[in-house]
Formats: sequence, C-alpha cells, structure tokens
Amino acid sequence: MSNSSIEKNMANAEKPETRDEFNVEIDGTVGSPFVDNPKMSSRNCDVFYADKQAIFNVNLDIAKHEIIAMIGPSGCGKSTYLRVLNRMNDTIPICRVTGEHTLDGEDIYAKNQDPVLLRARVGMVFQKPNPFPKSIYDNVAYGARLHGLAANRSELDDLVEASLIKAGLFKEVKDDLLKPGTGLSGGQQQRLCIARAIAVDPEVILMDEPTSALDPIATALIEELMDELKANYTIAIVTHSMQQAARVSQRTAYFHMGHLVEVNDTKTVFTNPEHKLTENYITGRFG
Amino acid sequence: MSISEKSTSTQKIQAGLKRRYAKEKRFRLYGIISLIISFAFLLVLLTTIVSKGLPAFQQTYIKIDVTLDQADLGIDKNASEDELFSAPYSKTVNNSLKAMFPGVHGRKQKRALKNLVSKSAAYELRDKVIQDPSILGTTQTFWFLAKDDVDVFMKGGIDRKLPESERRIKDYQLAWIDQLIKEDRLEKRFNTVLFTAGDSREPEQAGMKGAIIGSLLTMLVTILLSFPIAVATAAYLEEFAPQNNRWVDLIEININNLAAVPSIVFGLLGLAVYINIFGIPRSTPLVGGLVLTLMTLPTIIIASRAAIKSVPPSIKEAAIGLGASPVQVLFQHTLPLAMPGILTGTIIGMAQALGETAPLLMIGMVAFVSDIPGGIFDPSTVMPVQIYLWSDSPERAFTERTSAAIMILLGFLVLMNLIAITLRKRFEKKW
Amino acid sequence: MELGQHISQRYNEELEDIRNKVLKMGGIVESHSENAIKSLLTRDTALAKSVIGSDTIVDLMEVDIDDDCIQMIARRQPAAGDLRLVFAVGKVITDLERIGDEAGKIASYAKKLAKKKAVGGMHAELTHLSELALQLLHDTLDAFARLDDQQAVTIITQSAKINQEFNSLSRLLITHMMEDTRNIKNVLRITWCARSLERIANYSVNISEHIVYLVKGKDIRHANIDDVLSEYFNDENHQLEL
Repeated sequence: MSNSSIEKNMANAEKPETRDEFNVEIDGTVGSPFVDNPKMSSRNCDVFYADKQAIFNVNLDIAKHEIIAMIGPSGCGKSTYLRVLNRMNDTIPICRVTGEHTLDGEDIYAKNQDPVLLRARVGMVFQKPNPFPKSIYDNVAYGARLHGLAANRSELDDLVEASLIKAGLFKEVKDDLLKPGTGLSGGQQQRLCIARAIAVDPEVILMDEPTSALDPIATALIEELMDELKANYTIAIVTHSMQQAARVSQRTAYFHMGHLVEVNDTKTVFTNPEHKLTENYITGRFG
Repeated sequence: MSISEKSTSTQKIQAGLKRRYAKEKRFRLYGIISLIISFAFLLVLLTTIVSKGLPAFQQTYIKIDVTLDQADLGIDKNASEDELFSAPYSKTVNNSLKAMFPGVHGRKQKRALKNLVSKSAAYELRDKVIQDPSILGTTQTFWFLAKDDVDVFMKGGIDRKLPESERRIKDYQLAWIDQLIKEDRLEKRFNTVLFTAGDSREPEQAGMKGAIIGSLLTMLVTILLSFPIAVATAAYLEEFAPQNNRWVDLIEININNLAAVPSIVFGLLGLAVYINIFGIPRSTPLVGGLVLTLMTLPTIIIASRAAIKSVPPSIKEAAIGLGASPVQVLFQHTLPLAMPGILTGTIIGMAQALGETAPLLMIGMVAFVSDIPGGIFDPSTVMPVQIYLWSDSPERAFTERTSAAIMILLGFLVLMNLIAITLRKRFEKKW
Repeated sequence: MELGQHISQRYNEELEDIRNKVLKMGGIVESHSENAIKSLLTRDTALAKSVIGSDTIVDLMEVDIDDDCIQMIARRQPAAGDLRLVFAVGKVITDLERIGDEAGKIASYAKKLAKKKAVGGMHAELTHLSELALQLLHDTLDAFARLDDQQAVTIITQSAKINQEFNSLSRLLITHMMEDTRNIKNVLRITWCARSLERIANYSVNISEHIVYLVKGKDIRHANIDDVLSEYFNDENHQLEL
C-alpha cells in the first residue's frame, strides 16, 4: 500500500476553515420570489419599531393554494413579516409598516380598508395555543357569531361541526362540545385554534410556529392537516424547524436579519440552495 | 453517603442548612404569633360588641287593662276619622294605670306611674281604635312598650342593692315593677321596633330603619355611579390611551394620589360644590352617594387596572386575529376575564363607603332625621352616622342600642362581601 | 465549493471523518491498481498475490463508510451540500470498490500470465493504456480531494479517449490471436486485463460525475456532454484536447 499517495491526497483535501460568514452582502432576493396571479403580494416592505428597522425591502408573492414556509434564525423578521400580512402589527403603537401589500390585488393597507374584514379573510394561528376560556363549541363559534355568519342555531351547529371535522378534531371531542376548550391537551388545543380560524372561512391562513410548543405526534397530526387544508386555503407558515419546512411546504423563503435572501422551490432550497447564506443556515453552519 | 464522599458544593450547602431551617422556623413562629394577636384583638372586639348589643334585640312590654271610656275620650263608634284621631288617648292610658295601682298619690309618684309605659302607648291605642272602633266602651287588654328605665332595669342594668338616692328607679317604682312581674304583666319580646322605626329621642322607640334605608339608598347611588365610571376609566387607560403621553401620565398620577386623600376633604368638596353650587338638597342619599362616589373611584380604578393588565395578551391577540374590533375585545374578553379583580376592588371600595362617616357629616347627615326616607331626594341618615348619634346620647338604653346598630352594620358588610364573593366565584369558574 | 465550520463540532468531525475515509479508500484502491498493473507488466507473482490478498480491506472499508453515511443521515438529517456529499460518497465508494475488484482481476491474470512467455508487442500498448487509466484514476481522486468540479469535467471529456485506446488495443490483440492460435488463451487473458483497465477508467469517469453533482448540485449522469462542456468552457483558454 502506498501511504504516500494517501497522504498526498489527504494533504490536498480541502480543509474547513472558519470564515466570517456574517458579512456576506445581501443584494436582492435570489430565486423565484414572484409568481403569476399571487394570492398575496408585498413590494418594498419595510417595517420599523420606533427607530429600529426590522424588515428591509422585502418583495414576495404568495401563490394560491400553496404552503410557503418562512425560515431563518431568531430575530430575522419572519414573524414580523407574517404579521404584516394581516395587519396584526397595527396593535403595536411603535410599529410602522411601509410598502404595497395586496390580497387578490387589493391594497390591504389602504385608508378605507377595514382591518376587521381583512382579519376575517386572513386568519392566524399562534405559537402557543390560545383557546378562549369558553366551551369548545363557543370557541369555534366565536368568529362566526362575531361576523354574523350563521343565521340560526342549527346553521351554527353545522358550521362548528364542519370546522372541527376539517381540523381533524371532531371525532375526539364530539361528545364534549360543551366542555371548556382549555381542558384539552396541547395538540388538541392547537387544532381547536385552527378550527376556530377556519370557521370564519378565511382565504389565507397564517401560522406562526404552530407546532413549536407541541410533541412530535401532535406536530405530525397538524402537518398532515396542513396538507389537507391547502386544497382550500393558502397557507404561510413561519417555522424554526427546517425539517418541518422541508416536509410541509412547496416554496420556502429564507430570511436573514430582516432581509429576504432567497425564495425557491422547497426541493431546490434543501438540496441545492442558490445563496451562500441559505446554504449555511440550512446545513447548520451558523445562525 | 457520608459527608466526606459528597462534593464540596454539597458540603457547603449542608453546613448552612441548619441555620436556614432555624430561620424558617422562627419566621413561621412570628407569623403565627401575629395571627394569634390579630385574632385575639378581633375576638375581644366582637365579644365586647355582641355582649353589649345582644340585649338590645329584646324589648320589655307591659300588659295593661285599658278601659276605653267614651266619656273620657269624647268619642263614640260613629265618630269621624278626625275625631278618632285626635282623641286624648294618653289620658285613658294614664287612667288605666291609675286603676291598676290605686293608692298612688303625690305629683312625683303620679308622674313616675305615667312613665312606666312608653309615650308611644297612646299612639298604639289610637291606631287600635281607628282600626276597630267597636272596642270603644269596653275594657281591653293591651301589651304596650315599656319605658326605657323599666326596660333597662329588667335587663339588669339598674342594681337593686344600691341606696335609693343613687338609683334611677325609686323604691315605689320598684314595688310597682315587682307587682307587675308577680302578675305576669311584664314580658320581654323580640325588639321589632329596632327594625321598624326611625330614629327617636326616646330610646325604646328608636329604630334603625331610617338609617338602613338611608345607607342602602346611598350605596345604590354610589355603586351605580362609581362602578361604570371606574371600569370605563380603567379600561380606557389600559387599552386605548396613548402611551407615554404627558396628559395621560398626569391623569394616572392624580388618580393614584386621590386614593390617599383624607375622606373629610371629599365632604368639604361635596358641601362646596354639590350643595352650594349645584344646589342639591343637603343630607340626601343623592349628595351622600355623589361624595362617596368620588371616594371609591380611585380604589376601584386601581384594582380594575391591575385586573385588566393581568388578562393574558394571547387571548386578546386571538380575538383580534379573528377580526374582533378593539371594543369587542374589551367587552367580550378583557372585562369578563378581569371581572374577579374588578369585583374585589369594588368590594373593598363599597365596604369602605358603607362605613364612612366623616364626609357625610360635612354634608349634613348629622341632623336628627326621624322619618324614613322614601327616595334619594329625601333627607336621611346612614348607619355609621346613626351609630355616632346614638353613642352621643345620654340615655342609658342607647348604649346597648349603639352596639346593636354596630352589629347590624357589620352584618350588612358581611352580606355585601358574600354577594361579591359569590359573583366573583361565578366569573372565576369560567377559567 | 467551500466548507465552513458547523456549529456542532462533532458534526464537523463526522463529515471530515467520512471524507478522509473515502480518500484513504481511494488511495488504497489506487495503489492496488498500480501494483496490479506493475505485477502484470513485470511478471511479479508475489506482488500479484499481495494485491489479491488485500482486496478484502477495500470491501470492509466500503461497508464501514456506508454505515457511517447511514448514521449521518439518521442522526444529523443533512441538507443541501452536506446531503449531496453523503449521497455522492455512497455512490463513489461503490465505484471505488469495483475498481478494487478490477485491480484484483488484473492481478489474478498477471499471476497466470507470469508463467508464460511474454506476449510480445503488446507490452507497449498495455503500458500506454494502463498509464492512461491510472492517470485518470489519480486525477479523479485528486479532484475529489479538492472538490474541483472543473477538473472533474475535464476528466469526463477524456472518456472518449479511453474508449479509442481500448478499441485499438482490442484490434491488435485480435490480430495476435489470429496470427498465433496456440496463444489464444493468453491473449484472451491480456484482452480481459485491457477490459479491466477500461473499466477502471470508466469507473473513474463515474466518480467524476458524482463530484460534479456534489459540488454543483447538477446531476450530469447520462447528460449530453456538449451541454455540460458549453456550460463550463465558453472561452478559448479552456480548449481541451479531445
């Protein structure tokens, strides 16, 4: 055996070095951030918290009936951007949002646009399940009652049942509809929140780390649910778990320190990402 | 594991453990001692009040055979309403007494005889005659209220064994009383007068009804005004007011300071503004309620703000995310969840208001009011003021009545607390 | 392609481990090939025997590295570049193991041929073909070590040359067989050695394709060579000899 050739080969081998990855220039978004006939779109989105800028010039389209995942390190702005889409940032006085944002082509930040109506069309599911301290039935019915979606009690009953079925929860709770929603397990509570959001018949569902507080089985159930839901809704999900983004989404958007670095098909992002920063994040080389 | 086998950290901890446990034991001991002392004081207070006040719940009655002589009265069955009303019934009562104790002579003794029975006897007789004029000309047996001296004696307040010059009840009166007792003509009954009559100069005729109604009306005005205003203010300051705004901060500071203002200042305010400027009649539950509202507002506002602040933001976010407007979020989620805390603040405020005397004195509720108030515009008094007035009176019988009034006031406080606790439990259950 | 530092030091070490093992396996296979050819050309029976005997080492290494790759997938869920590395390594070691087998075959023919008369005339052509094959193998391993996709593409373009060389050698050997029918068995053995050399060269080309996939994320197996070339070399400084 020739040791010298082995050693020679190994001597030639590329050695990993520590590089300063943080100062890579971000110049625009690579990949395919735009689609035809998007369900929602953003152009030149900037978000400021008082004087601090959190989001820098984001341009992104969300296609109809797709699941788009937004990933990135902590504090990169993905949750902030998600909340731009249903004007939840309006509730924070020091938050300022600029840019053009549309839903089906209409400007959602227009002066005459009612945020209440917008939030009925763009629903949201939060990280920590937050059912109201009411019965399961009242939780699901709340939105419907709020917006007057059911004409009478039996219509409301049907709506609640349909929403719970769509959320995959009906079988487990059908005999306990009057029990408090807070008495369910974590995974069930989150599915209840999803049912509650669906009951208002939104067009888009925004999910902000919906399974980060749940165990693997509950997580799997909800991911399964997302796949079924995309037939009828458009879903945008923010997630810390790259494996989850890889499992559930069709397109993935990578945010880095407030910039949108890359948007591509999920397959591309996870096998051959275009941008160095995306590659580094996905392979765990920093962030 | 012996000490030497443990790590140095464990050894250090172990060394300090004995001292820590000793400290804890001492602390608990102090706690228990304080509790015992507080309870002891409470017990002493309650026992004193109850022991003094219980006798007031009984009243002595005298059985007298009354001869309704038509000639004496000057009326007959067919007399008119007015004539029936204005007949000299007190004379009849006196005559009946004289009939029971013949051999009474001398003006002093005759007057003493008259004072065996309460002055209200005449009115009671009148009411009976008006009710049933057919009793005229007959002899009826009636139970009348005994005078306060007799009552006090019957309850053991006057010592037989004292020399006559030091006693309020003279020997001849004693003899009458003994005779009445022998004839079973003296009886102690439950004192309904305490609850059915208004204030009076005569102790045996004095009751709390006026003060109770007055207190209730004043409380009603207070709660109807302060609760909505306080909750609305707290909700506005917490949910809708612009943050870091100079004016809002100023308002907040002032509200917090108002809670520390001495209550009599509110009375002065009431006098100057409500009575003098607005011309609201003095000593009415309306002005009393207005003054007390100002006093309880800061308490309820501060408690409500804390309660509203403690509602988890996740619930509000969920509601907003579903498309609820800020006002809907407030009424459908925030307030119901904050209700336990708000009600606690309200209980504290109301309990304070119920026992407030100083500001009400300033607005005139110290006057002697014997009528039962019919509404919030009638002059009235409140329970604490009534207690103050009774404690000020010289008659012996008022001592026990003062304590009884205190017991009734405490009873109301307990009742109010129970109501509020039940309400709070009902709201808390929803969690 | 640059490899940065993983946040997990252990992960880094595990990836490095796999790469080093592959390089080591490549080195062993390369030296086996060199020795096998040398034993054929110099009729060294002892050398041939040692090559045959050490083939098990290569097989064991293949199993070991495959196991490491499975562990890496199960435990680390590699993505993007790391995923392509693990996947490519799995394929590369298969090809390396086959190269090792071919080297063993050459060695066993060498053993048999050593006892017979040297086959005249073919020595030169065999030497040329073997040099070509070994150079290709060496360059491929070098490209893997440096993750140099440019070099890998250059190697791929050489595959046509190998085939030409082999075909001409085949024709020569057939002529020998026709001329001297008593020697057909030996000439056949030599033909099979040439075939093994050709295979070694082809496996090296396969490995180069995997290197391109690893580095660039493009799967150029079964792709049109012209398309691949046009992407890599569109200026005249990189004209190749084809």
